[in-house]
Amino acid sequence: MSCSPFDLRDYFLKELSDPERRQVELHVRSCPPCREELDRLQVTETALFALREEEIPQRIAFVSDKIFEPSPWRRALAGFWNSSARLAFASAAMLSIAVVVYSFSRPAPAPVVATTTPAPAAVSPATVQQQIEAAVTQAVAQSEARQARKLDEQISQMKQLVAWAETDREISLRRQANLQRATYFSAQAENGERK
Amino acid sequence: MIFRAVEDADLIRQARAPSARGAIDAFNLLVSRWEKRVYNYLLRITGNREDALDLTQDVFLKAYQNLRKLDDPARFAPWLYRIAHNEAYSLFRKRRPEVDVAELEPESTDDGITVGGSSVFPLELSLAVAGALERLSPEQREAVVLKIYQGFKFEEMAEILECPVSTVKSRLYAALELLKAQLAPIKRGVS
Repeated sequence: MSCSPFDLRDYFLKELSDPERRQVELHVRSCPPCREELDRLQVTETALFALREEEIPQRIAFVSDKIFEPSPWRRALAGFWNSSARLAFASAAMLSIAVVVYSFSRPAPAPVVATTTPAPAAVSPATVQQQIEAAVTQAVAQSEARQARKLDEQISQMKQLVAWAETDREISLRRQANLQRATYFSAQAENGERK
Repeated sequence: MIFRAVEDADLIRQARAPSARGAIDAFNLLVSRWEKRVYNYLLRITGNREDALDLTQDVFLKAYQNLRKLDDPARFAPWLYRIAHNEAYSLFRKRRPEVDVAELEPESTDDGITVGGSSVFPLELSLAVAGALERLSPEQREAVVLKIYQGFKFEEMAEILECPVSTVKSRLYAALELLKAQLAPIKRGVS
C-alpha cells in the first residue's frame, strides 16, 4: 500500500491536477518505497511502448456518392430534430399559429339583443310607502275574502251533515215503531188462538 | 487576417454543411487525422489487421452518416471511439455469439505475433509485451489501450465504454498490476 498523498497510479496515468502532482513529486523524493513503485510503473509503460503504432495499410477516403450521402432534406431534418432550441422555437411557433387560426375560425358570438326594460325612475319614499300600504291592504282583503269563502263552505257542509243525521234518526225511529207494532200484533194473535 | 490551426470542431461544422462537396472534403481531412489512431486501437483489441482495417472503414462511414447526432464537436474523439468500440464488439458477437464478450481473446495474426513489432526495441520485449497484453481480459486490455496508447482521460474512457469511471479505474489498476508484474522485470533485464 502506497503512503503517497495521492494514488501513484493516478499520478502515473496523468489524472492528477498540477498541485496534486507537485505534492506527489515532493513525497516521492523522500519516500524510497513510493519512488520504487513509481519507477516500476514507468518501466512498465516504457515496455508497453515497445509495441509501436502501425501505419494503416490502406488510407481511407470518401468520395461523394449519392448512395451513402444523406439527402439535403434528410440532413436538414436531422439537423432540425437534433437542435432542441430550434425544436422549441418551432413548437412555440406552431402553438401561436394554432391560437391565431382558432381565434379567426371560431363562430362569432351571438348578437346582444337590447332589452326594453325601462330604466327605473327615481321614486320618492312617500310613494313607496303608499305602494306598500296599497299592496298590504289588497293582500289583507284577498285573505279575508278567502277566509269568508272557506267559512261559508264549512257552514253549508255542517248543515248538510245535520240534515243527513236528522233524516237518519227519523228513519231509525220509524223502524223501531214499526217493529214494536208488529211484535204487539203478533202477540195478540197468539193469545186469541190459545183461547 | 488572423491565421489559426483548423481544429476538428471546424472540420465537423464544415462536414455538416449542406454543400456536399465541401462536406466530404472536410470529413476526409478529419479521417486523415484520426484513421491511424482508430486503426491501431482496433488492431490492439481485435489482434487482426484485416479486421482492424475493415472496422476502421465502417467506423468512419458510420461517423459520417451520424455526424449530425454529435451534440458537442469538442467531444468528437470519445464519440468516434465509442463507434469503434461498438463496431468491434459487434464483430466479436457476430463471430462467436454463444461466447460471452468478456471471455473473448484477440485472434493471432498470420505471422504468429499478435500485434506489431519493432526494429528499435528488442524482439523479445515486443513478444513479451504482446503476450502480457494477451493475458489480460478483453476489458482490461481495452482499458490499457485507451489509456496508455490512446491517451484518453478516465471520463472519456467511461463515455467510450459506457460504464462508470470507478469501473474504468478498477479495470485499469488491475491491468497495471498484471503488466507490472510481467513486464517490469523483463524491461530491466533487457535495458
